[in-house]
Amino acid sequence: MSDVLLSARGLEVHFPIRSGGALRRTTGAVRAVDGVDLDIHRGETLGLVGESGCGKSTLGNALLRLVEPTGGTVTFDGTDVTALGRRQLRELRRRAGMVFQDPFASLDPRRTVAQTVSEPLEVHGLHGGRRERTARVGELLELVGLDPAVADRYPHEFSGGQRQRVGIARALAGEPDFLVCDEAIASLDVSVQAQVLNLLRRLQQQLGLTLLFISHDLSAVRHVADRIAVMYLGRVVEVGPAEAVGTHPQMPYTQALLSAVPVPHPELERNRQRIVLRGDVPSPAAVPSGCRFRTRCPQAFEPCPDVDPALQPVGPADGHLAACHLHGVVGTPVSREDDVPEGPTPGDAARAPRDAGRERR
Amino acid sequence: MTAPVLAVEDLRVQLRTPRGTAHVVNGLDYTVGPGETVAVVGESGSGKSVSVLALMGLLPARTATVTGRALLQGEDLLAMSPDRLRQVRGPGIGMVFQDPMTSLNPVLTVGRQLVEGIRAHQQVTRQAARARAVELLAEVGLPDPQRAVDRYPHELSGGMRQRVVIAIALSNSPALLVADEATTALDVTVQAQIIDLVERLQSEHGTGVVWITHDLGVVAGIADRVLVMYGGRCVEDGTVDDVLERPAHPYTRGLLGALPDLAEPLSDGRRPDLATIPGVPPPPTDLPAGCVFWPRCPVRGDARCETEQPPLAFVESLSRATGSSLPHRAATWCGEGAR
Amino acid sequence: MTQLPTPGANPAEPPPAEPIPPSRPARPRWRETLGLLARNPTAAVSAVVLVLIVLVALFDETLAPDGPNDQDQSIALQPPSWSHPFGTDEFGRDILSRVVLGAGTSLRVGFLSVAFALVVGTLIGLLAGFYGKWVDDVLMRLMDMLFAFPAVLLAIAVVAIRGTGPANAILAIGIVYVPIFARVTRASVLGVREEVYVRASRSIGASDFRLLTRHVLPNAAPPIIVQTSISLAFAVLAEAALSFLGLGPRRPNPSWGLMLADGRGFIEQAWWYSVFPGLAIVLTVLCFNLLGDGLRDVLDPRQRTLTAGSGR
Repeated sequence: MSDVLLSARGLEVHFPIRSGGALRRTTGAVRAVDGVDLDIHRGETLGLVGESGCGKSTLGNALLRLVEPTGGTVTFDGTDVTALGRRQLRELRRRAGMVFQDPFASLDPRRTVAQTVSEPLEVHGLHGGRRERTARVGELLELVGLDPAVADRYPHEFSGGQRQRVGIARALAGEPDFLVCDEAIASLDVSVQAQVLNLLRRLQQQLGLTLLFISHDLSAVRHVADRIAVMYLGRVVEVGPAEAVGTHPQMPYTQALLSAVPVPHPELERNRQRIVLRGDVPSPAAVPSGCRFRTRCPQAFEPCPDVDPALQPVGPADGHLAACHLHGVVGTPVSREDDVPEGPTPGDAARAPRDAGRERR
Repeated sequence: MTAPVLAVEDLRVQLRTPRGTAHVVNGLDYTVGPGETVAVVGESGSGKSVSVLALMGLLPARTATVTGRALLQGEDLLAMSPDRLRQVRGPGIGMVFQDPMTSLNPVLTVGRQLVEGIRAHQQVTRQAARARAVELLAEVGLPDPQRAVDRYPHELSGGMRQRVVIAIALSNSPALLVADEATTALDVTVQAQIIDLVERLQSEHGTGVVWITHDLGVVAGIADRVLVMYGGRCVEDGTVDDVLERPAHPYTRGLLGALPDLAEPLSDGRRPDLATIPGVPPPPTDLPAGCVFWPRCPVRGDARCETEQPPLAFVESLSRATGSSLPHRAATWCGEGAR
Repeated sequence: MTQLPTPGANPAEPPPAEPIPPSRPARPRWRETLGLLARNPTAAVSAVVLVLIVLVALFDETLAPDGPNDQDQSIALQPPSWSHPFGTDEFGRDILSRVVLGAGTSLRVGFLSVAFALVVGTLIGLLAGFYGKWVDDVLMRLMDMLFAFPAVLLAIAVVAIRGTGPANAILAIGIVYVPIFARVTRASVLGVREEVYVRASRSIGASDFRLLTRHVLPNAAPPIIVQTSISLAFAVLAEAALSFLGLGPRRPNPSWGLMLADGRGFIEQAWWYSVFPGLAIVLTVLCFNLLGDGLRDVLDPRQRTLTAGSGR
């Protein structure tokens, strides 16, 4: 049942930091995504959580090559996404859609709902003929719970929730297998968030979609996801079934994150023990050696700065992985002079050649 | 009970817009005691932010009409001269807004901004003010405050900036702190830090806090009392336990039902669909005649819903059941029997 | 597509219907813009005057009382009178007729040169702004070089190379304005390029050409439209200046700049000779400028959002 639709191996997106001046020498790199291994199974909803700046959005974009990966591979339904030519890339864009965070920004204000929703049909030459397209747009709008009669309206006439439905209709127009929802409910009001969450769940079941649900809202992710992946500083640090990760987190960062999520029950809130993390997330331009969470980890010990932890099975649940030495020291030893130009590390060959982090156009 | 820090009486705000007069706040009454936190909850467009901007005289005078009274330690904020209002901001009210970057001046160091705030209201030397600034930064938990005073806002992280804003807000030991979505832009771990900080400072200084947010989880953690706003009206208020655990207004119930509740058991290994409130809030230019929530209400249990505005009335049976002495009120015709 | 997991599913329960917002007729943007423009009196009056001037230029032959070169030495340098409201010049030609007929020349040069600059400059700005990197560097450095020349000098250089005449005046003025349009367009495109809806279109597989023509250009257009109006004003002035220097249209064809130049010699005996063509230039330039200012206000997105919700 759980065959893999999309898989990332050692995926990296490094944005070069350039010095000012005419020569623009590269002086370093922001490691937005830094060696992510992740499998997304067909038909599941994978929730991707993490705090701002952890690289979860960049990861979502890199999986669809909306941001160009600088290293590693992405395999979508058996084909290597990082090696696709222009035409194949277009086909990927049909099979994998994206829903964006801000429904006020993600719709072109100068185009009607119909024009927006039918754009994928035009781009991919689907439902040729004006009348077929109009009919298809009507179907899509009904699918997301909008009256097809609104097709000729402009986005500014709609509420945030309705706009987000239009955005979802656009993402579904090419009949994709895979949908990335990048903070798709973050800018909506609570009651509207619920509507959109319900809609996404219904669509996922109805259409057999595979969903990557990126959010900083752990409650929402636990509500919709079958599995949850937690990101910290460009790396997936824990992944597993939603229940297991949500109730028995195995990595101190996940534990702290979960303990900080407020719930609307005063009694629980009064009695809860928060794990308050010290300090700030380090800059992704200067990632700590070894375990990248060690600088804030309340349980850090000797091997943490020296061994870069790999994901390993943890806890009783099947498929629950965490990158943490508390469960046994597993990973790649790091050389101390980590900031000096790298020695021959495994990811090096793939990292060097491509133009770093360039946005795909 | 001691005298309240803030007493708002029948606050009304109307804004002139190209589409007609917007009735943004329509008769708001509440008090904030010393050391007490009152959370004002509502969705966008509920008027929660405008209601506090009005208190602080921050609405554009050309388009806004503000009526009612807002007594800060007995003195009416709405009747103050602009000069007096400027004096009161600082030692009277401290403010923290959602985006710390917009509340800080990007071209001045953190210390400079703190010193200016202090010296605007207190007769102290520059050196003394600077020493106080370092103290304040240490108090809000900024690491290495000695060096932090000489930093510019852009050199700090979002959480640190919000701490600086809080330090500025508290620099003149205000009687009242107003926080408008102060943690909304922050990550949950940082939010937890900021909430801890505010609670600690509040218990030390006895500051009254008005905390405006849409996040009921935050409310549960921080508030003593809650005021739920919808369509510019208070539709329910009471203690945090009463409102969140025993909501009486259909809107409050809808809002709580719309949140994923992780305490709820799974059915067939999958979480049930969330309850939703159909439709969108009414535009403030065109509020319904009866109960503001009527057009979206799933109950509509009374003939008066459509035509008559329900008053904010005590939810007696519920209060009695819990033996609570603090009032729990809701503005609905169908709160009592509509479980 | 794969088999879907269906634990306790409610397959196709329709989502709660959200009421459609109060209906406003779906008006295209340009109609809305015209409506707003009509409520801005200065801009509206300017637009009307400009339309009149254009009409005069289009129907100059019919409207002009006399031919442009009907000479009558017996009435040379007559002050304004009922038969010659703007007076006559040293050859006894009716100045009103020549101002009317000169409108065509001046406006044609203005419109065509701005059209040239608009097309070339917008294209350059669009490519530079959208692609960035070396494309931007190369194109914009080129524009900087053009910009570094004093405008009149550049125009004179063009005319010196290609000779005088209306066509070369158009080219000369056009080249001067190319970098302005390139810069305005690039600045606007840089903002639009980062908009989420551009990314959204890319995410569904839209080509660069589609992104540029359907999304970037239409949304980057407002400042370009404003710039067009203002440039038209300057182009009319530039045409006058070139003609005045003898680098534009040649005598005896009427042109406002030429008349101004010729009238200069008689400024003490016959003020009307240069004043009326001068007034025509001033009126046209003023109207284009005022219209440009009005458009800037009207096309400002903040004008529109005023009508949106005011709850926050």
